[in-house]
Amino acid sequence: MNGRDLNFYLAGINNQNFLMRDRETGTWWQQITGKAIYGPLQGASLELVLSDELTFGQWRNESPTGQVLAPIAKYTKEYDPNWEPDVAKLPVVISFPGTELKSRDVVIGLTINGAARAYPWEEFAKQSPVVDRVNGTPLLLALGPDGKSFRVFVARIDGRDAEFFLQADAPENKENNKENNKENKDNKDWALLDTATASQWNFQGCATSGAAQGKCLDRIPALKDYWFDWRNYHPDTTIYKH
Amino acid sequence: MSTSTPSLTQIRTQRQSSPWLWTAFSLCAITATALFFVPAFIIRPFTHQSARGLALAMNFHDHAPSVTLIAAIACFILAFALWKTVGPWRKSLLILTLLLVTFSAVMARLNYFEWMFHPITGAQFEAQSASKLDPKEMILAVRLGGEARAYPINQMAYHHVLNDVVAGVPIAVTY
Repeated sequence: MNGRDLNFYLAGINNQNFLMRDRETGTWWQQITGKAIYGPLQGASLELVLSDELTFGQWRNESPTGQVLAPIAKYTKEYDPNWEPDVAKLPVVISFPGTELKSRDVVIGLTINGAARAYPWEEFAKQSPVVDRVNGTPLLLALGPDGKSFRVFVARIDGRDAEFFLQADAPENKENNKENNKENKDNKDWALLDTATASQWNFQGCATSGAAQGKCLDRIPALKDYWFDWRNYHPDTTIYKH
Repeated sequence: MSTSTPSLTQIRTQRQSSPWLWTAFSLCAITATALFFVPAFIIRPFTHQSARGLALAMNFHDHAPSVTLIAAIACFILAFALWKTVGPWRKSLLILTLLLVTFSAVMARLNYFEWMFHPITGAQFEAQSASKLDPKEMILAVRLGGEARAYPINQMAYHHVLNDVVAGVPIAVTY
């Protein structure tokens, strides 16, 4: 922030979205927004770094020199191997009864120039790839070959909007995935095909063959979140419908 | 009736001997305990936080370390002054209050959220090829300046925050 490095620590909870403070100024920050809500830096916003929610297997294929946070021996028994279903069982403290989703429904939330949209995960996973338009920007939401990872791209190739389809039996990434046969098959067979150039695209959003080969789509930051949390911070959000 | 009247008068005289001290003591005690307990109560898990409640909690919380200390010191001085003027009942009330005040002043200096979820200090990283993580485990991934890092979600869902530097960029990883 303003050229100064800040170090954050967990400081509280606000409607099940945590609060953190920085050791340097004591300012309070909201996790989901990265905004300073109280203290010396109130009103400031942290810059969002693009991140992914992937399976380790998917990431490992894409990142041969990648580094993983090592387990910390004294805390490993505190980790909940079942965190996802366990968290889903926790009570919620805010709800939006007028809306068509339930509080603990998982959504992919994204914002394009201030316009927010939520994609119900179940629907997205069934339909993937989803092509949509938010605030004039054509979007491509893709579920990974593993059925768990996801990414969002701008569905535009060289200034031209494009539609994308899942191509079955695509010969891709043959050298990847030496360990796991199923994974190997999934990743090898997985490719998207676009309508504008008829090129093949991998899950990283890069064309692996066809007229667009070597090109990569722009990425859009997106958050996998519970509906109540997304809706709480994006009161004007729309919900994607096919 | 006739026997109780003198003892009541007796108590009254004792009370009247130091009403200002009692008032001051109560105010200090309320201040010290409120500054810890009000924010702790508002910012507790599994409850709704209103915007005004949260603002009040953060305000109290930020003033708590200094104000609870001053109030606690004042409480001790006042309790010392009151001690000889009161009977055993009120002495135990004084002691109980002082314990509560001390507790508030100590707790106002500690981050009990980090007792529930210990922070990561000195995070270690390993090469992806050395990791024993199951390929199906979910991770948060960041790629900056050609460096790729993965943060297993089952770890992040416990620690919640990790301060890291990737390719020279200081980042806060949160889940």
